[in-house]
Amino acid sequence: MISAKNAAHFPRELFVPLLRSGGLRAAGFAAAAATAALLFPAQAFAHATLEKVSPGYRERVPSSPRTLVFRFDQYVKAVPGSVRVYSPQGSVGEIRARSDGRHMKASLPRLAKGGYTVRWHALSGDGHVISGVFTFGVRTAAPPVTEAFGASGPTTTEDVVRWIYFLALALVVGGLGFRLLVVRGPLTPRAEKRFFILTGIGVVATIDVGIAAFILRAEDALQLPFGRLLYGDLSPIAHSRFGAAFIAMTLGFALVAALLFLAWLADRTVLLWPAFLLGLAFASGLSLSGHSAADAGSSWKSELADWAHLSAACLWIGGLVQLAFVVWPLMPEARRAAFLAFSRLATVCVGVLLLAGVYLSILRLPHLDDLWTTGYGQVLLVKIALVSLAFAWGGLHKLVVVPAVAQGRVGGRLRRSLMGESMVGMAVLLVAAILVNTNPPARPTPSPPAATSVQR
Amino acid sequence: MQPPPEHVHWLFATGFLLLGLCLLAEAVVGTEVWRRRPWRAYLWPGLAFGLGVFMWPVMVFFTSSTLHMLAHGVWAQVLMLGGATELALVRGKLQSSWWRLGMTSAFVVSGAAFLVHEQNSWLFQRSSFLHHLLGWTLLAGAVFPLARCVRPRSQAVAAGFALTFVAIAVMLYCDRDVAPVFGHISPQAGTPHR
Repeated sequence: MISAKNAAHFPRELFVPLLRSGGLRAAGFAAAAATAALLFPAQAFAHATLEKVSPGYRERVPSSPRTLVFRFDQYVKAVPGSVRVYSPQGSVGEIRARSDGRHMKASLPRLAKGGYTVRWHALSGDGHVISGVFTFGVRTAAPPVTEAFGASGPTTTEDVVRWIYFLALALVVGGLGFRLLVVRGPLTPRAEKRFFILTGIGVVATIDVGIAAFILRAEDALQLPFGRLLYGDLSPIAHSRFGAAFIAMTLGFALVAALLFLAWLADRTVLLWPAFLLGLAFASGLSLSGHSAADAGSSWKSELADWAHLSAACLWIGGLVQLAFVVWPLMPEARRAAFLAFSRLATVCVGVLLLAGVYLSILRLPHLDDLWTTGYGQVLLVKIALVSLAFAWGGLHKLVVVPAVAQGRVGGRLRRSLMGESMVGMAVLLVAAILVNTNPPARPTPSPPAATSVQR
Repeated sequence: MQPPPEHVHWLFATGFLLLGLCLLAEAVVGTEVWRRRPWRAYLWPGLAFGLGVFMWPVMVFFTSSTLHMLAHGVWAQVLMLGGATELALVRGKLQSSWWRLGMTSAFVVSGAAFLVHEQNSWLFQRSSFLHHLLGWTLLAGAVFPLARCVRPRSQAVAAGFALTFVAIAVMLYCDRDVAPVFGHISPQAGTPHR
């Protein structure tokens, strides 16, 4: 439907109304501004950008390099302490850096076999101090930049951000799954509106919280105060496994946001299908960059199990939210059918959660006593306790409430019970966020661990 | 292999130019004539929304500094938001013309992002000049979408709105590596390069 509310009358003389209304004056001002800008052509927007570095990011070099060479896209100046190099034991000593136009060079002492972290700063042509960090290895693999010397690992803030990320993911993926797999028919206008609001919040939060998580991880690697972090070079972090997941998930969920909006705009539920499938597919970014992909013993099976675990949790918790906040208050006539259909979906989700969770637990904690002797195991115990509570709650619904609902006896307290179950689910996600940011105990591997690995 | 930043800016400049020209055409012939083909009503809001979607790759692939990444993320979101509200108004999903404040806020936030992002003075160097110019153009240009909320039929407002996009496009086209006119204005800005 086209809104004709703001339609103007067709002018007989096309340009006369524009002249009379002062439109041409406005046009004149804008044209003057545009001409002024044209007269002063500018260079590429940006402070100096590091174009190339030798040795490169995470490069394994056969012998100790004599110099570090940084090539920027514009003029830079070395500042005191411009380049610092660290082995896992600490600084390798005083490094003197000199600038030469677009290049900055630093002579290195002889480096022993091992992994090294380079932290650099340079004065950009525009007066800003730009900074960065990268790693390289001498006759051994370099550590990931997220494990550079000095990086302290995930903080409590990162745990909270990860939790919010999981919640957002559950809202969007679980919400879409609920709409497409549970309540397939048309919704009432108010329910439709609330569904789109909830999933819309979910997708926007997924993107924005993902950006926050990326910057927090970069802050940890770069070890810079906020003012300098603003000009920090994030490219090495973007080239890491975590960075690749961030890029893929940001782009994927931007598409999900666009599809969700178009589905609302055009009243085409069919557009929710690609949004749902994209959401599920790009949720795998977490599995492909986390413990299940990077730790010893990981394989495609662990990645698949992790993704199935996450997807099932999102469908379960996101579906509960939709059931409690959309269907229950706004579509009383659809409660029974929705509850029964969701109960079937939740049963499948719980099965997948259990199978994948047990497999991953055995993979990461091969010994039973790891559960109480390691930090990872202790967090996992808390998670198991909360999951047991959620399963018991869900089981109560399945065994007691479902038969009652099937007979048409829907209790008024059921909504509160659903909300309670979803709250427990959210608490599970909080513990899952802490678990993801905790290192599982090291596993013995066939080859000895690289000398460069940094203990966190 | 990434394209040089200026090439990306030129691509977006082309998008903004098309957007501005569509709006200008609508301002000149009047909304009624412009919308005789229904699809035309969706043209510029759809273009704004699409530009927002295409800003995301710029944000994630150009990570040379946190500030640039954040600024491009902000522009991606406000472009999508502005385009989305206008599309919804055209479609009739949103009714109140106050939803046009979505585009106003897009202008204000975008302009603020330019100004916060540039910490040097106007005449420090050419890129500083352009950042300030873009920032203030967007902030001043926010008057037009604001005025569209209260005077939706005004052709002056419509023309001003359109020409703001054209001006932004021209400024983005100015982002190039050749034919410097200003040179380095501040002695602190360093020696000429590129």
